[in-house]
Amino acid sequence: MTTEDKRALLGHFLAALAYRTQKALRDAPADFGSFRMEDGVRTPAELVRHMTSVLGYARTHFIGGHYWPETLSTFDEEIVRFHEMLGTLAQHLRNGDVLLDGMTEERLLQGPFSDAMTHAGQLALLRRLAGAPVPPENFIVAEIRPDRLGRDQADPVSPDKVWPEAPKN
Amino acid sequence: MTSAPVPGTNDKRELLRHTVATLAYRGGKAISNAPAGFKDFRVTDDARTPGQILAHIGDLLDWALSIAAGKQTWHNSTPLPWEEESARFFAALAAFDSYLASDQPLGSPVEKLFQGPIADALTHVGQITILRRIAGGPIRGENYYRAEIESGRVGADQSSRRTEFD
Repeated sequence: MTTEDKRALLGHFLAALAYRTQKALRDAPADFGSFRMEDGVRTPAELVRHMTSVLGYARTHFIGGHYWPETLSTFDEEIVRFHEMLGTLAQHLRNGDVLLDGMTEERLLQGPFSDAMTHAGQLALLRRLAGAPVPPENFIVAEIRPDRLGRDQADPVSPDKVWPEAPKN
Repeated sequence: MTSAPVPGTNDKRELLRHTVATLAYRGGKAISNAPAGFKDFRVTDDARTPGQILAHIGDLLDWALSIAAGKQTWHNSTPLPWEEESARFFAALAAFDSYLASDQPLGSPVEKLFQGPIADALTHVGQITILRRIAGGPIRGENYYRAEIESGRVGADQSSRRTEFD
């Protein structure tokens, strides 16, 4: 497998992560960032910081050193930093920068990238538990592009016509 | 919905197989040794139970195979008993992986298969994991980048050599 092909798919992975994270966060209640389901379960703000942390860890395999993100004062700032990290990581992939310390594209995928994707699912679940669920859609036709990694993600192309689990108003 | 082969498709197809193996490893960890009654654990009245989520993951993998084979179909299944649903999860992974490993053409670009059913399934594994914690049966943390995850290893028998932490 060529590194270029692998990195192109990893770039698409990051774009899917940006899309799904924004879907879980878009139009969330104002206090969603501090929603605590119970002790021992991360709040959405803590989850986003953790997602930034695992992606920052991935980045250390391009630039060396360590990464431990400090707690930011607002949820909004956490979200901005998360998307900046996505962009930085994607740029390393596009540049063809060398992976350090025996890291491979496969291990990036199975480790930090997949970690972050599972946490995006947890954000969506917390939206449901916070009483503001995210409507489903057909993700296979979603407008997900490797050059679109910021907060401004496309609206769903094919939202589900039937939503049996919709909130009961 | 059959597409002509394009350069690089087989390479990306192989990395998709690695993603499927990752799903088997992470999903297997999330569903094994679950607390008694976990299948029907319900946090709120309108939230899916772990049993419903795992059945949905099985549906997603069946869907992925149907898309890959160029005959897209969707089916909402009724959750099975936990062990049976777990077996279905691994069987669906194996069927999809087997197709990816074959010479059969893909009915959809690799990127679409990834961003749809496979990424969806990963997010749902994360949900089962957080429900394990809320239900009082959390799984241990792990440095997954060190995990022995290999393309084609998509059954319940995953490596026991793990870098775990509490």
